[in-house]
Amino acid sequence: MTSELDLDALLAHPGSGGVRVVAGSSAAPWTRVDVEESVADLSRSVASALAILTTSWPPASWQQDALIRRARDLGYRAIALPGADALRAGGRYLAERLGVVLLETDDPIRLAKACWELLEGRDALTLGYVRHVAQSIEYHATGLADLLRHLSASVGHGIALVDAERVILQAGGTLPRAVHDAIDFGPWLDTVSVEEGAASSVLVDSPSRAGLRLAFFGDGLNAAQLGALAVAAEVAMPAVAARILIDEVADVNDAAVASGLLRDFVEQRDGRDAELEQRMFDRGWRTTGFHVAFRIIGRTRVDTFQLLRFVTRELAALPGRFHVATSGRGITGWASFTSPPPPGVVEDLVASLRVVHASTRRAFNVATGVGALHSGSPGLVASIDGATDAARIAATRSSAGWFVRIDTLGLEQLLLSWTENDTFIPAAASLLGPLLDGPPDLLDTLTAYLDHESGIAATAEAMGLHRNTVSTRIARSQEILGLDLSDAEVRLAVHLACRAVRRAPDRTTTRRHRSTS
Amino acid sequence: MVRTLERHELTTLGRGYGVLGSGGGGTTTMWQLILAESPLWPLTVFGVEDLPDETPCVAVAFGGSTLLLGERIPGDAPFAPLVDAAERWTGVRARAVCALEGAGLNGLSPFSLADELAVVDADLMGRALPRLDQLTLFVDRVPGTVTICSTGADGVVVIDTARAADVEKLARSAIVQAGGMSAVLVAGFTVGDLREHAVTGGLDRAMRLGRAFEHDGAAPSLPELADALAARLLGVGRVMTVETTPDDPFASTIEIRADDGALLRVIARSETLAFMRDGQVESVTPEIIVTVDSLSRSVLQVDGFTIGRHVAILALPAPEWWTQTPERLATVSPAAYGLSGLDGPCGSDGLPGMGGTP
Repeated sequence: MTSELDLDALLAHPGSGGVRVVAGSSAAPWTRVDVEESVADLSRSVASALAILTTSWPPASWQQDALIRRARDLGYRAIALPGADALRAGGRYLAERLGVVLLETDDPIRLAKACWELLEGRDALTLGYVRHVAQSIEYHATGLADLLRHLSASVGHGIALVDAERVILQAGGTLPRAVHDAIDFGPWLDTVSVEEGAASSVLVDSPSRAGLRLAFFGDGLNAAQLGALAVAAEVAMPAVAARILIDEVADVNDAAVASGLLRDFVEQRDGRDAELEQRMFDRGWRTTGFHVAFRIIGRTRVDTFQLLRFVTRELAALPGRFHVATSGRGITGWASFTSPPPPGVVEDLVASLRVVHASTRRAFNVATGVGALHSGSPGLVASIDGATDAARIAATRSSAGWFVRIDTLGLEQLLLSWTENDTFIPAAASLLGPLLDGPPDLLDTLTAYLDHESGIAATAEAMGLHRNTVSTRIARSQEILGLDLSDAEVRLAVHLACRAVRRAPDRTTTRRHRSTS
Repeated sequence: MVRTLERHELTTLGRGYGVLGSGGGGTTTMWQLILAESPLWPLTVFGVEDLPDETPCVAVAFGGSTLLLGERIPGDAPFAPLVDAAERWTGVRARAVCALEGAGLNGLSPFSLADELAVVDADLMGRALPRLDQLTLFVDRVPGTVTICSTGADGVVVIDTARAADVEKLARSAIVQAGGMSAVLVAGFTVGDLREHAVTGGLDRAMRLGRAFEHDGAAPSLPELADALAARLLGVGRVMTVETTPDDPFASTIEIRADDGALLRVIARSETLAFMRDGQVESVTPEIIVTVDSLSRSVLQVDGFTIGRHVAILALPAPEWWTQTPERLATVSPAAYGLSGLDGPCGSDGLPGMGGTP
């Protein structure tokens, strides 16, 4: 344990009574601190010492000079007193010349206490920090960020929750990059001190988030302060870990509630339910006005909650009001406008959503669909429906970057999107089952035939076959399927089924599925 | 020792009295111009031992604003009504005159009475001092003194009191009544009293100091000048700021950045009272702290400290009379000027001027 006190450590101490440097700079650390009413009460100091005076300057500049000189001649290398700011240029020059550091303090007694803590009362220093941590936990915090703010304000240093790559959250300052890089993420406790600053960190014991550290940081902290802050971090850590867990549970719960509410709303369609409307109102969901919905779905399995979190954070950076909830294997959201937005605004919105989509794709394998602009409660449902269809299409559109906007779709694509849902494809497979089991040329010919308005000649020309071959194959297909293609409804159903089955990702899978069910 | 003062020595004597002014006392130019026209040259100056002890004597000076003397030219015989009043009050006609303040313009005041009274080389201050209660006669409580002031419009006021503080206050009122400057005369003592209760040989000293500035060839360097003045060269530097002391509007602090980097401070009221180097007191009143312009070598009054001016500050030994007893010293030490913390130039334990409080 060193019994030295340096200027940086004193300046970094939160309870130092507002100490500021008025003149001079510290060279050597001080080994002693004396507190007296005035310079006349000081006695000769053998060591390099700091004098804290409780009375302010004498009024005349020559008296101030004399005070500085006398303290210096008594062996003091620093003088702290209230009102030191009032020292004029001459006095500051003299202090620099004599190598004396002049400190301004609003509260000399608090400064004296801080000096004592740093010099002798290390346990008191630690205890003070710990007490402040305890005090901050006492206050209600609305979230992790709020808790960190409380801790920082109470302890008087910056606090940061970090992982090896980045700062997750921080309060009371900005953790310098160099300090962050210097932190060792291995041990339970770690204290670092580099030129840019210093930090004491402790491993956060959180089951849901591994590799986090809670760090108190500041500039100029000495070993004693870092040691004390390490203890403070240890004491604060469980509260932070608990808060992380609480926030996560609350988030999951909230997402589930929102998801349920959205489902209820969409399923209700045009019916009006006062209770449902109240619940939506409570969540801040407005159904009046104009809406553009979007849906982001996983092309493979994704954690919809993490997706919701990610997208919510991305959307927070955008202008405008967004509501997002998990729904099915993706998330559904919408932007609301109180008045009809001009086309430019909608285009900007879609462009922003495309950016969000792009950044989301870096973390999740997703496809995004954007619905059309509609108004009112039914309009919101319609827009969500549109977004849902668009997302479904987007899931197969790598050329569009897995991003489809409903307004740009043709009717055929829309129709197809319907035929690709989970119930239609098995049905289609069942309808065309006998053909699927046979050679593929029958299904291909039938599809081309239906595509060419049931024209034998046009089909033959398109497929490069003889007309008789085509008519034979159609006749065989009708025979195998046992269907009458002259019936308009049957023709439409078979046409759609052909398209759906041919577009289905893996026809053999569909076939196997059919044969095993 | 009787000495003869030649007309050409008047400038030298004036400069010498300027040095003894310690930054105050006023400039002697006006007296030099008036006395140069006098038909009495060469003038005779008596030492106190050259006249019988019982010779009735008066001391004369101008009180109030020395600057005013440059604008309000005194008449032919400014002290004559006062001498008459002293005779009426004391019953004897004065036969000798000495300076009340042997410094600044007042060093030359007695010569205006040289046609009638014998001029004695003695004065009641030995340097410039701001107050009438700082007269040597009053400090030693010489009985029977009377102070007479002109009050303007040919009027005089006679102050007959044993309490020096009253003299200061009442004379100050008379000076205000007279328009800021007035002739002052102290009577009721003899040449014999001057031996014990006055500073003698001031004129001699002023002549020596005045001659130190004279040179044939190149001007002497500042250390050489200090040697010639028997003074300590305290510092040479440039005036940085002139501040009024917050709790004393009449006291100013002049900050000088010395050529060697030190921070010099001159503390002054109407005279220069103290000098500090790097926060350490190096000279205080009654030492005579003189400031000269480094280039022109002209002796500066306190108001000559202008920002940017390059100056040299010297300390001349105090007149011995003031340092002979603690009572005398107390009358002219910084505490007597309301400046606390400057007494004991180097403090009792070798620490800079935070020694005592008044």
